[in-house]
Amino acid sequence: MKERIHKDVVIIGAGMAGLTAALYCGRMNLDTLVLENGIIGGQIANATDIENYPGFVSVKGGDLISTVQTQAENFGAVVDEFDEIEKVTLKSSPKIIETQEKIYEADVVIIASGMNRRKLPLPEEKKFAGRGVHYCELCDGAGYNGKIIAVMGGGNAAVDAANFLTKYAKKLYLIHRSEFRADEVSQKKLRANEKVTIMLQTEIKSLRGERRLEEVEVFDKKSGEKKILAVDGIFVNIGVEPNTQLFKDELKLSASGRIPAGEDCRTEIDGVFAAGDVREKEIRQLTTAASDGTTAALLAEKFLAKLRG
Amino acid sequence: MVKIYTMESCPYCAKLKRYLKSKDVEFEEFDIEKDPAAREVCKKMTGIEWAVPVTTIDGENFVIDFDKPEIDKLLCL
Repeated sequence: MKERIHKDVVIIGAGMAGLTAALYCGRMNLDTLVLENGIIGGQIANATDIENYPGFVSVKGGDLISTVQTQAENFGAVVDEFDEIEKVTLKSSPKIIETQEKIYEADVVIIASGMNRRKLPLPEEKKFAGRGVHYCELCDGAGYNGKIIAVMGGGNAAVDAANFLTKYAKKLYLIHRSEFRADEVSQKKLRANEKVTIMLQTEIKSLRGERRLEEVEVFDKKSGEKKILAVDGIFVNIGVEPNTQLFKDELKLSASGRIPAGEDCRTEIDGVFAAGDVREKEIRQLTTAASDGTTAALLAEKFLAKLRG
Repeated sequence: MVKIYTMESCPYCAKLKRYLKSKDVEFEEFDIEKDPAAREVCKKMTGIEWAVPVTTIDGENFVIDFDKPEIDKLLCL
């Protein structure tokens, strides 16, 4: 039988939005729990140089998020990164969050579950996963010292991964099906590196190899040419998708799978807030995630005050 | 003794270490980036050139990645 525990606020997700909400909730003396199924920090845990977060000239994602976690914990919030959520019931009062080990009853739920990386949409992905196809450059990049690396994607995460991997690669291809979406600063750094060949408007058609990845077949959409590139490892950074699977039976989701909520982060259910990249909005930055976390926490406190008369 | 194969920059390795500590599991850690001999042992065991984190007790049965249910099963937690 699972233990039942009451919390003022349960925050789902320990990225920037979730941990900022935890910092504020903790500081307002709310009994606050943060549950994280993946990695604390979410998408920025792997970021090597963040240069657009106010207050820092340049900071590693892991260091920044670790500081925010410490701030939240110093104010009494508890972060549990090991007990995975199995089911949520948001329409009831209190709201129920069932994990592998416990059942939490919460007066407020702040959903800050962020985004997950998209997998490479090729049938060979499974065959080569860990054998040439990778998603974490910080974990697996060093295995390609002096080898040929490809990075797939054209956003900030892809270009940052490519810039990081140039320290290992003897040659690096950046392959993207359309044009760059990454910041000009990161693009410029990548273009300046002589090891790098940038292939835009280029699709990856197939992966080849006996026991591990040896070649990548690409299609240049502009010239209509097919090419075979010798590649030892490919790092996939082709975007993200909202992590909303747990909530699809509880909340209406937008066409993109995100949670509809305004700037006040309120969802269609009283006492349920959506903060950070999981919320449907136009601008998704680290700073706006922190802003959402702040807003959700402050309005959560108001909701609780009203609830308790 | 539990052995884990890790890398300093790998966030899942850090999570694995925090998990084992939270369960009071003693472990011996090998950084495969800094220790080529350990890298060879890990590669031979898993059949994968570069895999972190890897958890094992006997050097035959192992779990790749932070897969909590599988780690719990392997370590009888």
